[in-house]
Amino acid sequence: MGKPTGFLEFKRELPKTKDSKERIKDYKEIYLDFGEHKILDQAARCMDCGVPFCHSGCPLGNIIPEFNDAVYHKDWDKAYMILSSTNNFPEFTGRICPAPCETSCVLGINNPPVTIELIEKTIIENAFEKGLVQPHIPAKRTGKKVAVVGSGPAGLAAASQMNKAGHWVTVFERDDRIGGLLRYGIPDFKLEKWIIDRRINLMMEAGIVFKTKSEVGKNVNANELMTEYDALILCTGSTVPRDLPIPGRDLKGIHFAMDFLTQQNKRVAGDQFMRKDEILATDKDVIVIGGGDTGSDCVGTSNRHGAKSITQIELLAKPPDERDSNNPWPQWPMILRTSSSHEEGCDRYWSVLTKEFIGERGRLKGLKVVDIKWSVNKKTGKSGFEEIKGTERILPCNLALLSIGFVHPEHDNVIEQLEINVNKQGNVSDIDFQTNIDKVFTAGDMRRGQSLVVWAISEGREAARNADRFLMGEKSLLEARDESLWELA
Amino acid sequence: MTASHGGRGRRVTPARAAYTVTFSRLSLLLLAVGAIHHHLVKNGRRVRAGLVVEAGDIWETHHYATVIGYGANAVSPYLALDTVRNIYNSKLISKELNLEEAEKNYIKAVGAGLLKIFSKMGISTLQSYHGAQIFEAIGLSRSVVDKFFTGTVSRIEGLDLDGIAKEILVRHRLAFPEKPIPVNTLEVGGVYQWKRRGEEHLFNPETISLLQQAARNGDYEVYKQFAEKVNIQSEKAITLRSLLQFSERTPIPIDEVEPKEEIFRRFATGAMSFGSISHEAHSTLAIAMNRIGAKSNSGEGGEDEIRFQRKENGDWERSAIKQVASGRFGVTSNYLTNANELQIKIAQGAKPGEGGQLPGHKVDEWIGRVRHSTPGVGLISPPPHHDIYSIEDLAQLIFDLKNANREARINVKLVSEIGVGTIAAGVAKGKADVVLISGFDGGTGASPISSIRHAGLPWELGLSETHQTLVLNDLRSRITVQVDGQMRTGRDLAVATLLGAEEWGISTAALVVEGCILMRKCHLNTCPVGIATQRKELREVFNGHPDHVVNYFTFLAQEFREIMAELGYRTVNEMVGQADVLRVREDLDFWKLKTLDLSPVITKIESPPSVGLYKRMDQDHELDRILDWKLIEASKSALEKADPVSAEFEIRNTDRAVGAMLSNEISKKFGSVGLPDNTINIKLRGSAGQSFGAFSTKGIRFELEGEANDYFGKGLSGAQLIICPDREAKFEAKKNIIIGNVAFYGATSGEAYIRGMAGERFCVRNSGVTAVVEGVGDHGCEYMTGGYAVILGPTGRNFAAGMSGGIAYVYDPENNFSINCNKEMVDFDPLENDDLMRIRKLIETHRKFTRSGIAKIILDDFENAVQSFIKVMPKDYKKVLLKHKAKEQVVPESVSNNIV
Repeated sequence: MGKPTGFLEFKRELPKTKDSKERIKDYKEIYLDFGEHKILDQAARCMDCGVPFCHSGCPLGNIIPEFNDAVYHKDWDKAYMILSSTNNFPEFTGRICPAPCETSCVLGINNPPVTIELIEKTIIENAFEKGLVQPHIPAKRTGKKVAVVGSGPAGLAAASQMNKAGHWVTVFERDDRIGGLLRYGIPDFKLEKWIIDRRINLMMEAGIVFKTKSEVGKNVNANELMTEYDALILCTGSTVPRDLPIPGRDLKGIHFAMDFLTQQNKRVAGDQFMRKDEILATDKDVIVIGGGDTGSDCVGTSNRHGAKSITQIELLAKPPDERDSNNPWPQWPMILRTSSSHEEGCDRYWSVLTKEFIGERGRLKGLKVVDIKWSVNKKTGKSGFEEIKGTERILPCNLALLSIGFVHPEHDNVIEQLEINVNKQGNVSDIDFQTNIDKVFTAGDMRRGQSLVVWAISEGREAARNADRFLMGEKSLLEARDESLWELA
Repeated sequence: MTASHGGRGRRVTPARAAYTVTFSRLSLLLLAVGAIHHHLVKNGRRVRAGLVVEAGDIWETHHYATVIGYGANAVSPYLALDTVRNIYNSKLISKELNLEEAEKNYIKAVGAGLLKIFSKMGISTLQSYHGAQIFEAIGLSRSVVDKFFTGTVSRIEGLDLDGIAKEILVRHRLAFPEKPIPVNTLEVGGVYQWKRRGEEHLFNPETISLLQQAARNGDYEVYKQFAEKVNIQSEKAITLRSLLQFSERTPIPIDEVEPKEEIFRRFATGAMSFGSISHEAHSTLAIAMNRIGAKSNSGEGGEDEIRFQRKENGDWERSAIKQVASGRFGVTSNYLTNANELQIKIAQGAKPGEGGQLPGHKVDEWIGRVRHSTPGVGLISPPPHHDIYSIEDLAQLIFDLKNANREARINVKLVSEIGVGTIAAGVAKGKADVVLISGFDGGTGASPISSIRHAGLPWELGLSETHQTLVLNDLRSRITVQVDGQMRTGRDLAVATLLGAEEWGISTAALVVEGCILMRKCHLNTCPVGIATQRKELREVFNGHPDHVVNYFTFLAQEFREIMAELGYRTVNEMVGQADVLRVREDLDFWKLKTLDLSPVITKIESPPSVGLYKRMDQDHELDRILDWKLIEASKSALEKADPVSAEFEIRNTDRAVGAMLSNEISKKFGSVGLPDNTINIKLRGSAGQSFGAFSTKGIRFELEGEANDYFGKGLSGAQLIICPDREAKFEAKKNIIIGNVAFYGATSGEAYIRGMAGERFCVRNSGVTAVVEGVGDHGCEYMTGGYAVILGPTGRNFAAGMSGGIAYVYDPENNFSINCNKEMVDFDPLENDDLMRIRKLIETHRKFTRSGIAKIILDDFENAVQSFIKVMPKDYKKVLLKHKAKEQVVPESVSNNIV
């Protein structure tokens, strides 16, 4: 590694963010610049472990110690080469990944971990600046045609890899723009959309065809795809939101988080909406129900709308500030996290159950909530809660955003049309990414249930390998997450 | 590859054929070398040609070593040099140098690596290593080995030529693929570090975190998950033992199996020195092992005495096993007295043939003090013990140690390699109480890379060979057989027991439980979890706890007992050596595994019932009639009340290790302080046997009139030894040898006045004795780290080799010392006042005690005579002393402990 004593000399440091009052005036990314020399110091903190837990914790198997070392030596070309061998879209993960690599970093045992995500972002942006990132045009075409359904990170990764393997790829996206949740789920202030466009252009140059406003199973017939294409890879995500069917659910002013966020992203992209369709937080008392990342995005967006008040409530108990003893390193730490959106203004409450939506003349006015107490049933081992008497109260609210997770993919499209099997959870069943129909594969949230972008990319890559093998009748030469090339020969 | 005729021919023009096949690893190349070499040997033509190898797949030291070991006279590593050029042109070298220098550095590094490998085997020149074939093959069939590597041992069969060809084709297909591979980076490899798509390692992120979690939370279920991941390797078959399974036997209920306390006392942790690991890591292991009635090992770095007392809360940090390694660091009478077992380290499993190495920056004040050495100076244990050049010497050392602490077991640590059975038989005959067979896995991350993978052999092979040999010779029942080498689970212990072990050592896994995450940066002193480091800020984050270690060993015992129950064994003793209970697995399909033949390992030797299969009786150490009993009797009031006593005895050359047992009694009572000088005055007349004055403590003064044999003053711990020729001797004392070789080996304190000459290796590894002698043989003061040697006569050659501390004063009126001195680590310095005073005082004392003639001559004309003295000053020592002076720090001896 670069510097054996780097971790003793340098402290973990991240770029500063713009002032929270200033940054809520726009939707741009919130980080200020960080000098190159500072990145070198951060890369020097990597200890090049004999057993790199980061490399194991990363769903993509990014070869992290090696690219940290390359960065320390200012060998940006090499760093890019190493990074791109496992990650198709480091510019996405480098901005929005929760970084399981960092939480399994060995330095993190008793020190703040290495700033791996920041280094990843720096490498790829540097590579773009230098023109190192070129469309990957395969040397030979196989003549096989592949249809990828869904242009989120899983679909894009699968498309990228299949194209690399020499197949002709067409990506079908039901929305009007490419990107799936990258574009229409994640707010601009976390991921500006020109970044997606930049990548899509490269993919188009490499020969991948994108068809927007094409919903397979609705206005595009899935069975036709089956005849036209040699393989299909389904990556439509896990988009059915969990609902809260309590009294008052029909009141106006209650929306799913994704409707709220997607609309805002379109607005930033220049689209305009009819007044009656607008979901705005301006001057409203906003309550975000659900304490996860989506909820946090709602908080940030509500602040930018100029909400009167923002409250986020969560059913589960408040997580500890530090790891629990049964949640040791290198597991993902279940600790209290405060995002940049929270810093911009938000009250948070945990162990709160929403009982009823209170309205007036058909419009939402407030939420009836009660505090709860969690406990573990000693006999069954199961967790349960009970309401704390006397804590029932009404919180003022005229905009409630439901961000309580996604249950499974929509079934009434390609799944129905092709009669794809789904499992108990409602996700697509698979064996090695292959569905019950031989030439149909699946990847991403559609297969796993709701998860992270980095997992989606990993899924897309692995599904591509399996599809490639199916098409060519022999082991795929695409990079694997866990298998060595030796095993392929 | 070409062989060019003509001995003088410098011009070698290799004809590089137009290869389209790449050579795979080393197999094809090495086959070619071996084939040609042996063919020429068989035809009697080998000496007429030189064998030059030009290859692309040679880059590591081991590659060079094997190619040379199997016959190559010269090597042209074209791809390695191309790579150097590539690195240079990519501007990745931060130092200022030109391409030629870079290439030269690489070649020099190869040479240094090779030198290390040769010296491990006691070989000093390339020529001797060439064609010596000092290798053992694992996984190659006899047919291949006999043809290409004639004479090499290959015990478990393996690949034949077809198999090797298949391996090569795999690589060929990747290098010249039929269709383009869309990957543009080389594989990460993962041989020396774990990498996700690389080589399998049994310690990987999953197993490490499972083991740590299990031990920290006392969770047996999680431990079982860990054990399963390690035990079931299936097709990956990393260990030989994973290829074996247990036969079906009638199980018994687990309550009928002997309790875990019986299992505990068979556990030991391996030898990891204080110095290589931190005090915190080291003492935590000791506390845990002491708690459960097992043993921890001091390693070769000595032990701080404060650990010998129990703490207030009952914790005991004392290492039950004290190691006696070739460096003899800190091996004093008190050290040996405070032990339940004394382990002679003949070799280390992971770096056999090498001594331990502790880089200078890891030798801080504390470690320097405990090792009786100079802080800041790197410590190298010499590969051999200088008092063990034969099995008889080993028997002598075992005798010495048994005298130094007769309640302790004497343990000899051997390494698994072909022939270890014979050595173990010798060790058993030499009266060792325990023999440890150490496997090749594991060892520290500080090992040289060529040692990590290419030195030593699996313990399965060495253990089975040892047990079988001992049984065949009916020696098995008088010695305990112990085994170690990356054992991690109860199943490992079970396989080991069935193969012949009755005790087991665990090291790496115990450290993992203390927090080790296999950084493999042990040599850099930057261990981030405070284990393999001496840096204070890192030691502070050490997170291990004796409770965790106890949990782990409890789980091991539990899993082991479960297996015992399954196999129907009530006691461990019943299980030892029942190798026929092991079978090769039938369910492994992988083609390479099918070529192995493990039957030599799982053979149970036929033996009559009178021949024991496990330790049943004690060795007869023949201590009943030694001279020391008389000395102890005579010293009774000194031992009880510190009264001065004196006595006179005759001595014969069958009286060996005189002083050792007496010193044990003194240490038991008075610790390392001992008694005031000359409290016990013993005059002896005659020929002293080996190891006269061994480990003798402060308070004893031996006045020997006559002569002594080898190992005079071995491990001297503060006593005074005086020797002069018999009063009736007619020869000139200063021209005749009066004591043997290897005097004061590992001695730490005391004085000696020798009227006569010494043999070879006088004061080798001396750490603090002051000795006056009238001439020495070759290799005087070798590896000395402390003390003063005054040589009043000629020295042999190679004086002061490896000397890193202490000072030697050589009387050289004829001016021929310089050519005999090995100046690599020492300078000749001018004498200062301190030196003059010291020399004068010592010679005066020498004259007083021995009536030395040469002493008188020098003293009568001191002002002039002293001009002929040369002060031999080790460079490292000088540096450190100057640094201390500059900081105005107190000199090492009085530094207090900094225990956090």
